[in-house]
Amino acid sequence: MNKDTIFELIVKHTREVIPELEGHAFSRTDALKELGANSVDRAEIVQLTLEALSLDVPKIELFGAQNIDQLVDLFYEKL
Amino acid sequence: MNVGIEAMNVFGGTAYLDVMKLARHRRLDTARFENLLMKQKTVALPYEDPVTFAVNAAKPVIDSLTPAEKDRIELLITCTESGVDFGKSMSTYVHHYLGLNRNCRLFEIKQACYSGTAGFQMAVNFILGQASPGAKALVVATDISRFMVVEAGEAIMEDWSFAEPSGGAGAVAILVSDRPHVFQVDVGANGYYGFEVMDTCRPVPDSEAGDADLSLMSYLDCCERAFGEYQKRVTGVSYKDTFQYLTFHTPFGGMVKGAHRTMMRKVVKATPPEIEADFSLRVTPGLTYCQRVGNIMGGTVFMSLASTIDNGVYNAPKRIGQFSYGSGCCSEFYSGVVSAEGQQRQKQFSIERGLSSRYELSMDEYDALLLGNGAVRFGTRNVTLDTQIVPRAWDVTRNKKVLYLKQIHEFHRKYEWSA
Repeated sequence: MNKDTIFELIVKHTREVIPELEGHAFSRTDALKELGANSVDRAEIVQLTLEALSLDVPKIELFGAQNIDQLVDLFYEKL
Repeated sequence: MNVGIEAMNVFGGTAYLDVMKLARHRRLDTARFENLLMKQKTVALPYEDPVTFAVNAAKPVIDSLTPAEKDRIELLITCTESGVDFGKSMSTYVHHYLGLNRNCRLFEIKQACYSGTAGFQMAVNFILGQASPGAKALVVATDISRFMVVEAGEAIMEDWSFAEPSGGAGAVAILVSDRPHVFQVDVGANGYYGFEVMDTCRPVPDSEAGDADLSLMSYLDCCERAFGEYQKRVTGVSYKDTFQYLTFHTPFGGMVKGAHRTMMRKVVKATPPEIEADFSLRVTPGLTYCQRVGNIMGGTVFMSLASTIDNGVYNAPKRIGQFSYGSGCCSEFYSGVVSAEGQQRQKQFSIERGLSSRYELSMDEYDALLLGNGAVRFGTRNVTLDTQIVPRAWDVTRNKKVLYLKQIHEFHRKYEWSA
């Protein structure tokens, strides 16, 4: 599993949670908050990505990312 | 032996704010805001404090008892994160204004929004312990939102988007005894889970701080792990089939919806349409009161329980699974059984009618209160409260028999009944 795959998973789940972003061209420096995801949306995106990666780690360990790139790194460290 | 809730009442204040109007006023993204499932929130007026909320919640419960029954209350616990003194517990004021027997233990418990559950479990164990057979315990979870969030710092965000519309004020009074007419506890069926995390807190007087994302993730972690522990301890438990209703600590409905969705997907492997139908059936009865009062911290999970009892269908006894979470953090999943008799008994408290009789604050009136107009700060030594700060709200108070804060004299709070 490389970081690009994790990035694609996050994008996929962000689009699932916020369908309005279907046509958005995601970049690594996008912040979920700036894309209109509120706290509940962000937690759901993290949860869906965890499940897709079959990871069973506390969600609080995936807290603190300022943009999608940093979130990718947090997931990558847990693999 | 049987143990649980003999009677319970919710007091949701005398004034409220329409949260959608607030969202527009603050220019929040209202499209996504609707998913948060918030409607109204109670706003504490300057002459309402956690003591008045507590007494106003408990008074109808006490009034429903005979003098002999009332005298058997031997334990009174206030559960709060809005204390008015570091030493003297609010239970002493509550005890006084309710006129309870002096042979009674009085103290206060704190663990953020878990406090109500902490107090309740202590009371349940007091009854089960049988050190004083036939005794009753009164647990009152009472909280108000502080005036403003602390200024943003290195690690703390000033995120008004959730904190302001969700923070309410209110109290739930719970009479615990060996006559659990309203909610019979499943003894020993408890999954608790806690650890140190700095998600939300009250590190300074009259203010709150924290991070909504961290708190939400901690809540979700606990929801899963507390239930996992419950499942280990109780044979044959199914998240889907064992509980006919689920109540949650409800900071706002959208958070509960997210937690329920996660649990149903992970634990039950349900599909999105199944999850949606299950949410409507098992969870929404408990949201009704929470959507009108907002987050009342320690009492919220019991407000959700009261809502589930009043708005559920009890053609047969039903088991309710209850999840409690308090930042910091500690959490617990536990359960009990409610029957038609319990629902019928609870009607005497007309909780819905109480909420409907509150005064709707205008945005100008609310903003003036938020700026601290007339507010009683922690540590106030002397003050006489102005009941005319929102004259039309006082008219509502005057028409009910409720306790209000009249004066503080040398730190001692003096309360009066409005009618």
